[in-house]
Amino acid sequence: MRKWIPWIVLGLAALYALAGFSRPKYSTDFDWVAVGELPVLQGGRLKPLDTVARNALLTFRGKQTLRSAEGKTSALEWLLRVLADPSRADKDKVFVIHDPDVLGLLGFQMKDKYFSFEDLGPHLERIRDQAERASRIESRERSRFQGAVLNLHERLMSYQMLRHTIQDPQSASFTSDIKAFLVQLATGREALRASKGNLSGDNPAIAALAGSFSRFQFMAQAGYFRFLPPLPGEGQEQWRNMGEGLLVSLTSGKIHPLAEHYAALVEAFRKNDKAGFGTELGAIRGYLATDQSGLLRQMGNEFIFNQSAPFYRGMVLYVTAFLLVCVSWLRWTEPLGRSAYRVLLVAFAVHTAGLIARIVLQGRPPVTNLYSSAVFVGWAAVLMAVVIEALFRRGFALAAAAVTGFVTLIIAHHLSSTGDTMEMMRAVLDSNFWLGTHVVTITIGYSATFLAGGLAHIYILRGVFSRTFSADAAKSVAQMVYGVVCFSLLFTFVGTVLGGIWADQSWGRFWGWDPKENGALLIVLWDAIALHARSGNLVGEKGFMVMAVFGNIITAISWFGVNMLGIGLHSYGFMDAALFWLVAFILVQWAVMFVGSLPDRQWRSALGTGR
Amino acid sequence: MNLQRIFKLLADLRLTIFCLGLLIVLVALCTVAQVKLGVFEAVEKYMRGFFVWWHPAGLPFALPVFPGGATAGLLLLLNLLASFVVRLRPVREQIGLWLIHAGLVIFVLAEFATGMFAIETLMQIQEGQSRNYTESRDRIELAVVDTTDSQSDAVTAIPVSRLGIGRPITPPGVPFSLTVKGYFENAAVTERTAEAPMAVNMATAGSGAARSVFPQETATGDDKANNNPACFLEITQGEKSLGVWLVTTLAAQPETLEVGGRKFAISLRHERHYLPFRITLKDFRHDVYPGTEIPKNFSSLVHLSDPAAGEDREVLIYMNSPLRHGGKAFYQSGYREDTISILQVVDNPGWLLPYVAFVVVGVGMLVQFLGHFIGFVPRVHGGRAAGGGATVA
Repeated sequence: MRKWIPWIVLGLAALYALAGFSRPKYSTDFDWVAVGELPVLQGGRLKPLDTVARNALLTFRGKQTLRSAEGKTSALEWLLRVLADPSRADKDKVFVIHDPDVLGLLGFQMKDKYFSFEDLGPHLERIRDQAERASRIESRERSRFQGAVLNLHERLMSYQMLRHTIQDPQSASFTSDIKAFLVQLATGREALRASKGNLSGDNPAIAALAGSFSRFQFMAQAGYFRFLPPLPGEGQEQWRNMGEGLLVSLTSGKIHPLAEHYAALVEAFRKNDKAGFGTELGAIRGYLATDQSGLLRQMGNEFIFNQSAPFYRGMVLYVTAFLLVCVSWLRWTEPLGRSAYRVLLVAFAVHTAGLIARIVLQGRPPVTNLYSSAVFVGWAAVLMAVVIEALFRRGFALAAAAVTGFVTLIIAHHLSSTGDTMEMMRAVLDSNFWLGTHVVTITIGYSATFLAGGLAHIYILRGVFSRTFSADAAKSVAQMVYGVVCFSLLFTFVGTVLGGIWADQSWGRFWGWDPKENGALLIVLWDAIALHARSGNLVGEKGFMVMAVFGNIITAISWFGVNMLGIGLHSYGFMDAALFWLVAFILVQWAVMFVGSLPDRQWRSALGTGR
Repeated sequence: MNLQRIFKLLADLRLTIFCLGLLIVLVALCTVAQVKLGVFEAVEKYMRGFFVWWHPAGLPFALPVFPGGATAGLLLLLNLLASFVVRLRPVREQIGLWLIHAGLVIFVLAEFATGMFAIETLMQIQEGQSRNYTESRDRIELAVVDTTDSQSDAVTAIPVSRLGIGRPITPPGVPFSLTVKGYFENAAVTERTAEAPMAVNMATAGSGAARSVFPQETATGDDKANNNPACFLEITQGEKSLGVWLVTTLAAQPETLEVGGRKFAISLRHERHYLPFRITLKDFRHDVYPGTEIPKNFSSLVHLSDPAAGEDREVLIYMNSPLRHGGKAFYQSGYREDTISILQVVDNPGWLLPYVAFVVVGVGMLVQFLGHFIGFVPRVHGGRAAGGGATVA
């Protein structure tokens, strides 16, 4: 039986990983996959509607699904409700407000934190007023309240823009509005032609047309994303929202060919007309399949990526591996240790698949922003740990890998709440070569320092508290830590210098003392101190472990602390919470360093005299 | 004998660790200080000086309260050099470490060179315009130009740091003297208004006679370049006053006057650094990602003309691709109003040093870590026995 346990565990882990590809569940039976794959242009890139839905709900509510008394609603279903049936969507409690002062401003009690647009409707003016005041203050000097109210205002603006993207939210039936507009267009143009251009504004046909135009003009400006593909002969980036799609008639006399279909699609959804919905969806997809060949498949890939949530599944698997390895230190060492190793490998495979999928979807090296750095830090640390585990076979690297993988993916998960994680790169950063060399190298350096710190935790905690920690095991952990610190120095140093070269190439300053550069330099300096102290016999093995733990603090600060220097609008929400966790993390490291500095008689393992 | 002791002392590893620790503290302080001071001032305060100075309120002078980056760098340099004498030798077993540390010496020297010799200026240039000078970010000068001869101008430029209120200055070869009556580091200028209580209406001649100056809060740190100074100058010919003139960096045209049959143009402007060649902006482009404000790319197509060097060609300057010419490098830095390109111009004689250093360190690391893999190289610092290094590194 025992022989089979690792295999059974492996099978279960693999099943869990593959379950990500199962067909998604929705609460209503429209063809959600086909809707979710529809391409839209938003934030400078083409993405499936599903991605827009998830990111929007994530920024509004902090979650990718909507939970209410009626049960769970997927982001996509919620988004369609906003687009198609605003009066119903306005009742969904999608705005999360944490800040007590903002709640106070609105006269809400602390016990609630989710609010609907309808709840906030009466306070819009007051929120805008406060947000305007806050926006006049430099972002890094804003108070927490100012940041929060500005953030709420932005979310409300985005929500209202969403409502105007496909239809006029005030309209009873936007398809009939479009039909009426087409008639106006014909008569208006006729009147214009008849008068040979010198028409006065009080001509009723022209006045009606002008009224429609100004209404669509407003929609064109307010639209949140663009879903109408470029017309034949236009540039690849010429996508339009509904207002813009109707306004093209200004010059060509014809509205965008998909405009009516989209209007009918959302109207069918509102009326719960599944047949009509299917017909319109088929028409839209048919048009896109010929007009933008390959695009639907590309969107479909991103949809599958969203749906399979590789990093979430990886996270769960890492925790499982860690728990297994912890239990294995107490009993059933052999079978559980093997099982843990296998689960870790599955987790790593899922993590790798997610990473590769992102690289392919984005066409970029793995690290482009803070979110992807978290994903990559974890991945590189786990990779190193797996190599070490394969060399040493002691389970220590395994535990460190599982914890690092889990923690970094949790961090990534929380970082994703700021919006699209595949955002476009600003001009200065838009260099795949430097992103691929400098950024990746330095991020591997972060991974190595964390891994060294993690291994040092095991050395210290087991060394002090566990009688079963043998001198032999301790020696091998110490060797691992030393090797990984060397590795970290190598990578952070090379990465830092590559960053300098990049800076010299882009603005002529090899070293600009920029906060992010300084952060990396701190790690280099600390690694150098630790290695010199060790080689000069200024610290012993235990002292070196304590120094490795301190490396965790330096790395965490240079990775995140730097982003908190100017806590501003974009960092609001996550960063406030992140500051708490950063401080908590640092305190834990200090505690472990304290434990590691205890005199020999307190060490209960073979490393001390406290048995 | 004594010399050897000094070297031993200087080469002590504890000094290395002390200096690195000092640098950690300074880098951290410098980073945090940037929030308030901006990069330039924070670097000046913590990194560039030998001491970090603190000026307590009420004390007439500043106190050195902490060693500065220059001290740490210098000590580290001495420590490194001494270790070459005492410990590190370019022998076969240590060649990797020796190269790594030699490269580090070059890195430290490069930063010293940058701190001392690098000059960063700007070139703001409109499409179709041609420039043969760059401008300082924040240093201002008073320029008096004799324009009598239509063929060539005789320019006298006086840095404002050398002007003093109430102290007359007579530029060489100019038939009048200038006295600063008032100077504002940052000011707004409007049509003359008598009502506004904050308005300064000192000018009696030139276009300033119809203008009011409103002193503004002086920007510091990285925003220094945004200051628009204004200066009131009394011009006197012998004993006779020719009136008080207003010059500001905001003015599009210099103030002109005629004295003794000669024509002069007076202006307040960002300090100019003339180039022995000329750059013409032919086309500036900037794109954003569709539907966003995120910049996608900037580029300036310029024409470089340097007869002395026999250069006459077009160059495209864009992100991560500067123009290097005549010891200077021109980088795309920003833009204004879609047609004015802002180039950052860097003159850093030591710019190649970090590259050299990187190659030296890189080779050193390769040798060192390859050596580790093969397992030949024993520990170098101190006397620790070999072993433990053959795992990952």
